[in-house]
Amino acid sequence: MRTPLSTLTPADRAQLKQRMRKPVLTFLALLALLAVNVTLGATLPFAHVWAIELGVVALMAATILLVSMEVIEEPPLIRLFSGLGFFWVCIMVGMTLTDYLGR
Amino acid sequence: MSEGLAKGVGVARAHHFESVAQQREATTLGIWAWLITELLLFSALFLVALILRIQHPEATVAAARHLKFWIGAANTVVLICSSLTMSMAIEFSRMGWQRAMVRAMLATAALGTLFLVLKGYEYYADWDEHMMPFLSSRPFALEETPAARLFVNLYYVATMLHAVHLFTGITLLLGMTWMAAKAGFLSRHQNWIEIYGLYWHFIDLVWILAFPILYVVNRGT
Amino acid sequence: MSASGTIEGAAHREPHAPEATIGRKPDYLHAESTLRSWFFTTDHKRIALLYLASITGFFVIGALAAGVVRLALVVPNGAIMTNDTYNKAFTIHGVVMVWFFLIPSIPATFGNFLIPLMIGAKDLAFPKLNLTSWYVFMTGALFTLVSVVLGGVDTGWTFYAPLSTAFSNTWVLPALIGVTIVGFSSILTGLNFVVTIHTMRAPGMTWFKLPIFVWTHYATSLIFLLATPVITTALILLIAERAFHVGVFDPAYGGDPVLFQHLFWFYSHPAVYIMVLPGMGVISEIVPAFARKKLFGYRFVAYASIGLASVTFFVWGHHMFINGQSDLASLVFSALSFAVAVPSAVKVYNWTATIHKGSLRLDTPMLYAMGYIGLFVLGGLTGLYLATLAINQHIHATYFVVAHFHYIMVGGTVLAFLGGLHFWWPKFTGRMYSEPWGRVSAILIFLGFNVTFFPQFILGYLGMPRRYATYPPEFQLLNVLSSAGATILAAGYIFPMLYLVYSLWFGRKAPANPWDAKGLEWETSSPPPTLNFVSPPEVPRIPYDYPIQATESKDQHR
Repeated sequence: MRTPLSTLTPADRAQLKQRMRKPVLTFLALLALLAVNVTLGATLPFAHVWAIELGVVALMAATILLVSMEVIEEPPLIRLFSGLGFFWVCIMVGMTLTDYLGR
Repeated sequence: MSEGLAKGVGVARAHHFESVAQQREATTLGIWAWLITELLLFSALFLVALILRIQHPEATVAAARHLKFWIGAANTVVLICSSLTMSMAIEFSRMGWQRAMVRAMLATAALGTLFLVLKGYEYYADWDEHMMPFLSSRPFALEETPAARLFVNLYYVATMLHAVHLFTGITLLLGMTWMAAKAGFLSRHQNWIEIYGLYWHFIDLVWILAFPILYVVNRGT
Repeated sequence: MSASGTIEGAAHREPHAPEATIGRKPDYLHAESTLRSWFFTTDHKRIALLYLASITGFFVIGALAAGVVRLALVVPNGAIMTNDTYNKAFTIHGVVMVWFFLIPSIPATFGNFLIPLMIGAKDLAFPKLNLTSWYVFMTGALFTLVSVVLGGVDTGWTFYAPLSTAFSNTWVLPALIGVTIVGFSSILTGLNFVVTIHTMRAPGMTWFKLPIFVWTHYATSLIFLLATPVITTALILLIAERAFHVGVFDPAYGGDPVLFQHLFWFYSHPAVYIMVLPGMGVISEIVPAFARKKLFGYRFVAYASIGLASVTFFVWGHHMFINGQSDLASLVFSALSFAVAVPSAVKVYNWTATIHKGSLRLDTPMLYAMGYIGLFVLGGLTGLYLATLAINQHIHATYFVVAHFHYIMVGGTVLAFLGGLHFWWPKFTGRMYSEPWGRVSAILIFLGFNVTFFPQFILGYLGMPRRYATYPPEFQLLNVLSSAGATILAAGYIFPMLYLVYSLWFGRKAPANPWDAKGLEWETSSPPPTLNFVSPPEVPRIPYDYPIQATESKDQHR
């Protein structure tokens, strides 16, 4: 029986605080970045705002991958695999665009 | 990761592995290999969205502005919350706090379900506004820009595919929660929670990409 | 290695004497004999045999459809069957051969069976997933067969929109669903191989001690993972298009059919290497074993496998030169396509260099391997013609293309498949097949294949388009020749099915290492025990440690 919180020993509380620090900070960072994007999307302050929006999305994706999915703590092989898919997406998009931007 | 595990938490070795470390490495690599395929699956749809934007800019903007921006944004918040609860479940599993872990998993499943409910409501609102061009019996709200139907239909394919992944995820999560509530689970299958957590985070990640690509970036010109 | 624990060097072992069986546990074939023990097995060796049986069935279906096509083309005016029947016959041939035979052929059978043995593991990393992949495969096959039984499909194996979405009145949907499902079985197999090769290698089995067979399967598996999901998406969109008129591929709504081709070929061009790379792995095992010589340029062959798997993702547009893509795209794709020739040539040169000054034994597997090298060279070089923009205008969608890819797919993959089947048959089944019959059918297949497909190069160059049920009368001689060759080829296929099956019951018992070949799979008994090795295998000092070793660069096997 570990819950409710009132039954926790001080040692447990300290452990909980230490363990939950990273997920909560990640959560707040993601919400803040989302808020930026939603604001930009709702107000459309200037032309080509999509470039900034995509930059924010890239930050959010990187946060989830590196921190939530703990890629940063994984051995090199897993890090390689986590990036491999994105690299291949770039190949797919890039080579297809040689057609659509060249028409 | 195997470090930071509490006493009595771990993985039982399957017969064909030589060691638990090998087994953990294999399962982690396995889920990442699977996630690569998920990424490419959805990226092909995002590529189609990009091509539509290039070929039919006005129609795509018109279509994107008709999507339910605020429901999409709310759903993004829901999924970010579920990512938090999933991360908490993983941490609890490492600490050996089984009951807290089960509750965090149930919360994750509940948030996932909330996403699907909101998505369903969004589809209903779309239907109500005649934004279902694939229904031949129902006139399309943007009939004057025919190419808008392409983007709107693509939106349905992409969100349905994501919803299927989420639905599968919730089903798996509930099944796993049922098993994880039993005594001794964490001493035998702690890595299931980690593996599953990676899948859940990735489905969130896909939505984090899908929301701006479908709803946000095409609003502006 | 035998259960008695005696450690003998390969040189001391009498290669044709079966090992003593007293006191040994039953092998994987005889461990259990119920139906349940086969259909719910998680043993990679049994799953490989499940796959072998299924793909043999699909090969027969695809070959029969090819027979129908060749029959129709005996006469120029299409009098033998209706045009619809002809269209359905070549579609069934293509769909079944590509998706239900060639793609799973070598990986799902030999790869499944041999990768754990070659790396010294007890099984693949995820045995249950492995079984699942076979069931997924059979489910997809069921859908496709249903579409054939209901009346067939006439879109060609490429399912190009808008024919497949707006115009065809045949059973396209079940076929599309079947092919979509089958993709998942490829993904699961590839995932299993990637993880197994990374994490399950025996202690001491470093990457540069792996047989090339394992390298090529690793490269193939990466393609499975990176390319298959994209065609899944393309097919999902196609299904949605046909069922709900989504419009993204439909010019009537402003959609772009070329976009489907991009997504389709992003997978289907790399899929060529899914079909070819495993065959290259097979050849890389057979050639050193029958030349008694270490594989020449081991590292280059290994790197060339990964090179092919990477370059292949940059060249898909060469299927679309005249289909309306931009000139810039055609130029880029054409130039990059020539790069494919480099790793391909590296492999061919290294095989021939291995044969050079080797001590050759022309047994059945080696006959297939020699045939493979020759036909692959011809198929590969004609690919360069097709990659050239100006020549492509002339021979696009003609029989030149048909001949080209059959030289790669049949001359390459099928010959490698048959060569590997004969090479490892003793290991799979514990029985020896009839060597004279093996040689006769290997030669028949080589001759029949060339008589069938070489005339098609000429026909294509003269301008006969593919997929037409009729042709001008002056092409009849070459077409009759091609059809006659197909009957020789058919005879060559029927013989192995008979004598291999015969050998299951009446063949001589096979020793552990009938070819005196190197590699961990030959260290265990034939057939192997359920967990592959009785005692942990000893990893050799270098791969392909054959008696004849040409002096290459010193650090080739650091």
